[in-house]
Amino acid sequence: MAEEKKVKPAKVKIKVKTKKSYREFFYILPFIILVAIFAYYPLYGWVYAFFDYKPPFPLSWDKFVGLKWFKSMVENEVKIAKLLEVLRNTFAMSGLSLLFSWFPMFFAIFLNEIKCKPFRKFVQTVTTLPNFISWVLVYAIAFCIFNSTGPVNSVLMNMGLIESPQLFLQSSDHVWFEMWLWLTWKNAGWSAIMYIAAITSIDEELIEAAKVDGATRMQVIRHITIPSILPTYFVLVMLNLANFLTNGMEQYYVFENSFNTNYIQVLDLYVYNLAMQGGYSLSVAISILKSIVSISLLFVTNLISKLTRGEGFI
Amino acid sequence: MRMKKLVASLLIGAMAVASLAGCGKKDSGDTMVIEVYDVAANYQGTQTGWFGQVVKEKFGLELNIIAPQVAGEAVFQTRASEGNLGDLLILEAGDFADCVEAGLVKDITKEIKDCSNLMTYKDPIDTFNNGLAGNESGAIYGIPTEMTGTSPTSYSQDVIYSSPLLRWDLYSELGCPDIKDLDGLLDVLADMMEKHPTNASGDKAYPFSLWKDWDGGDGMLGIANVVQLTTWYGEKIKGSVILKPDETFTTITDKKASYYKILKFLNDAYQRGLVDPDSGTQDWNAACAKMSAGQVYLMWYSWQVGFWNTQDRLSDGSAFIFIPVEDQKYYADSDSYYGSGRVFAVGSKVDDAKYKKIMEFLDWYASPEGCVYQHSGIKDFNYTVGDDGKFTLKNDNALMDNLPVPEEYGGGGYSDGNNAINQWIVSSYSINPNTGESYASQYWSSYKEATMTQMKKDWAAKFGAAEPVDWMKANNKLVVSPNVSVSLPTDSADIAVVRNQCNTTICDYSWRMIFAADDAEFDKIWDEMTVQLDGFGYDDLVKFDTEKHTIELKAKQAAK
Repeated sequence: MAEEKKVKPAKVKIKVKTKKSYREFFYILPFIILVAIFAYYPLYGWVYAFFDYKPPFPLSWDKFVGLKWFKSMVENEVKIAKLLEVLRNTFAMSGLSLLFSWFPMFFAIFLNEIKCKPFRKFVQTVTTLPNFISWVLVYAIAFCIFNSTGPVNSVLMNMGLIESPQLFLQSSDHVWFEMWLWLTWKNAGWSAIMYIAAITSIDEELIEAAKVDGATRMQVIRHITIPSILPTYFVLVMLNLANFLTNGMEQYYVFENSFNTNYIQVLDLYVYNLAMQGGYSLSVAISILKSIVSISLLFVTNLISKLTRGEGFI
Repeated sequence: MRMKKLVASLLIGAMAVASLAGCGKKDSGDTMVIEVYDVAANYQGTQTGWFGQVVKEKFGLELNIIAPQVAGEAVFQTRASEGNLGDLLILEAGDFADCVEAGLVKDITKEIKDCSNLMTYKDPIDTFNNGLAGNESGAIYGIPTEMTGTSPTSYSQDVIYSSPLLRWDLYSELGCPDIKDLDGLLDVLADMMEKHPTNASGDKAYPFSLWKDWDGGDGMLGIANVVQLTTWYGEKIKGSVILKPDETFTTITDKKASYYKILKFLNDAYQRGLVDPDSGTQDWNAACAKMSAGQVYLMWYSWQVGFWNTQDRLSDGSAFIFIPVEDQKYYADSDSYYGSGRVFAVGSKVDDAKYKKIMEFLDWYASPEGCVYQHSGIKDFNYTVGDDGKFTLKNDNALMDNLPVPEEYGGGGYSDGNNAINQWIVSSYSINPNTGESYASQYWSSYKEATMTQMKKDWAAKFGAAEPVDWMKANNKLVVSPNVSVSLPTDSADIAVVRNQCNTTICDYSWRMIFAADDAEFDKIWDEMTVQLDGFGYDDLVKFDTEKHTIELKAKQAAK
């Protein structure tokens, strides 16, 4: 009897606990389902890389070819060179974005220093708006401005700086930098929002105390604002690092032409171009490689972060 | 707590509903919605406007068009893997054969026998279906497109698909010089540009304005603008190979063949400053706007003149017209007696009610009444019928200017409401049994009479022929390739990749060659291109294409 008495409350406790954890599990179940459907289920598509897939025939009719498509990627020098070229472009453009990733942060800091509120709001709105313009329209704007009879060429020719129209969009010079400029024009205001939020959360007392101590505006920025939003910056950089190979394709797709393709075709665009013209299996194989490289990159950055800052983010 | 639970369950419910929304679509009222999977369509969505009204009134049908040209090629793959492409299918012949094999196409042998209009084309339909691989029983699955009812070797049109077209006013201003070869053509164009560096409103004009949108299309490798012009020398590009007038094949990369020749021609034009500098970056819409604004002095597609030639311009002599170049011999595909390469078919998953309606619709689509709607338009809006029963054109700018259609015919713009299927079973230049004239307005006697302008008379006097094709036939300058019905193999997964990469390579290098500063650079890029092509497996592709098109060539030789 005595023993029973002792056990019973424990059992009840466990029951309550299990019930509670079941309930809590149900809270996150919808999200698990979402992730399963949209992130894990599509991985099933990887099987296409191991078949000679040809629509309209179902996969079960197609021939299993093992690693053929992976091998064909590096079959000869021309193909290796192509792959390396695409990787180079991807790394160059992602690298450039990474190199200048401080830009939105400083933009946010300086924006925050504007004391005239209406003007500040105006600048913020104007810089955020391009984020909502689609890349197709951005290219249409670019074509209007930079074509052979567009305003840029007209102005330069009227000023006597050039004799014949410059084909800016057709040139393969400085493509990476130009692409970074377009990207920044489109994204800077939007990316700054996160930093602006971080800046607002800085304790006012800190800044006031500094001011009482005689700190100048620059000193406040240097010793208070920047250190306070640096953690936000690092988290965002690391998230970007995991996406190093995924620099999107819309921008490069619309700006790509036969003249700059050797410098503008990034991995995602290459996969798209291949798949859209019937090279399904090969393009899946390439995107599998991309995922593997991305995951490795994520773990490497995590490791570096652990070694240098003492904490990881996974 | 209870409130929270309620809110939570409501939210989950809302999510579930939202994720399922759009899955089903109910037929509205009595109309039946059929899905039309259509490789020819440039428009995706429900057929609206006047043609939508015709189909709705006659059959109670609403056409929901699925267009891979709009939605992207991937829609073929996804729909095929679902096992249902759509109710009514319009496919390329090669894909069609695969779809029959994959069980996506319905056998219509029994029902087509009752379709009297379709049975007018029994011979080409039977020939086409008997040619399908593995169809020994002679079952009927598909209906070829643009059949003419003439013969496989005749040529019924007045102009061919591609030939050099110049502005008559500019050409006669130069004194109508004889043009010997491509260099001579460039001389003439250079003179035109020198005399008229801008159009009437002062915008810069160039003889050539190119665009890249159709590169690699129509089963041909390379830049569409170059590929089309190779037919001026009697050659025809088929995939990676060129069919020469002596009925042998050579590869596109043959320096003696026409692809190199035309590419060099365009590069010469560029070196002489005759090419619009925006050619490499502009799209079709931008190029098209320049054509309509008179900023282009050379055209080469027969339909391209539609962006400039109007009744007024034919009268004042500023319209585009064919001007022969002495050393050229023009390639043309004969009347599409056996079809033009696409196929109408019925999806294998349709239910009986839909199937019945679709067959009724298809039979009407091939009937004289249906053809008049497709090719001639609406009575009393696009044409009037005279006492002799013959048609006279009305509102000839209906399509170009999207004229408003009267409410009784469905309202809306004419072009917006035009048949969005954009593919026909019966060709526009076949004869309407009710009028004795073709469906297309440019062959009506009333139209010919109205367009017999001074310009046409001058042209006829100079060249001694009534129409371009008459001139070509009389001077032995036309290579007509007979129309045949053969089922050609489609690309394996390997060949598809090789074709894709080689096509991209050829197109990219070709554009750079057109913009090459001098001949040395031109040849350097050409050599680089061939090295790249070898690496991507070009030889396999040439071998595959040669074998594939030899099947077709043999059939053509037999048809002669």
